[in-house]
Amino acid sequence: MLDSILCKIAELITEIPAEGGLVPLCSDYLLEKKENIVPDIIIDKEQFNFSKYPDFSNEDVFYMESGRQFNAKLLDFNGFYLHSSAVEFEGKAFLFSGHCGVGKSTHTKLWQSTFGENVHVFNDDKPALRKIDDTWYVYGTPWSGKNHINLNIKAPLCGICFLKQSEENRIRRLSAFEATQKILSQTFHKFKRTERLDAMLTLIEDIVSSIPVFELENRPEEEAVRLSYTTMLSAAKELGL
Amino acid sequence: MKLKEGFVLRKVAGNFVVFPVGETTVDFSGMLALNETGALLWEKLSEGAQKSQLCDALCTEYEISYDTAIADVDAFIKKLADAGYIEL
Repeated sequence: MLDSILCKIAELITEIPAEGGLVPLCSDYLLEKKENIVPDIIIDKEQFNFSKYPDFSNEDVFYMESGRQFNAKLLDFNGFYLHSSAVEFEGKAFLFSGHCGVGKSTHTKLWQSTFGENVHVFNDDKPALRKIDDTWYVYGTPWSGKNHINLNIKAPLCGICFLKQSEENRIRRLSAFEATQKILSQTFHKFKRTERLDAMLTLIEDIVSSIPVFELENRPEEEAVRLSYTTMLSAAKELGL
Repeated sequence: MKLKEGFVLRKVAGNFVVFPVGETTVDFSGMLALNETGALLWEKLSEGAQKSQLCDALCTEYEISYDTAIADVDAFIKKLADAGYIEL
């Protein structure tokens, strides 16, 4: 039995321990293992902090700690994760973010029921975002939350929307600063080293200046989906995304 | 009176924000947004300034009376102390 597998996640060759339930989660990302491949990222189980999660199963800790390591290392490759549900539709990626329980998955499921099977919800918890050349891309990853909705899809990022429950459906574009604060609240924003904080802030400054960011107050219904879709699509088109 | 270790002031999207860095990070989940005045006072504090020097800095920068400066500085220090950023 192999002690590790090689995957390509967000275009990064990643070595992952072949245990703790990770292998089936990574099946969509597997690379054939060859001696001469040097991984970009190595997930090191020796650094997993089991004592931090006394009430979780071994598999849960492997899942959380491997994801945490991957996401921490993404920063070295012009990337970060955003706690969100990611949809791909007509070749464009849209992210719906917000705190737990706000209705991210509900909203993207409603995109599917509204627009049909061409809508792919490709990650339901922590998709990876990377800037490559001059474009921001969103990638599926094996770390996709409890629903394990997880497709190995890459699509250019065309909009980010933070959700808020409300009695009415209403959407507004966020200022660069509001967008920065919202994004920071749903990704790593606590770093041991100042250089890493600055690397993250540089990426976020770039993303909020190139990608439209919204707040959608909404009820869980089709009307809210049509509002988020038309607003985000027209903003993306205006920017040539 | 001094700022606790482990915070840095950064300008993001035209606004000033204090971020926790290092081991402090365990207790601090939030970010502290400051206006220009707050940012000026934070910088002075990080250089070791005491209350009178903070008031002087405000008077010089904003042409306000010393009494107004004292009130502003007191309010700022209280805000920081309540939120745990400062050791009195």
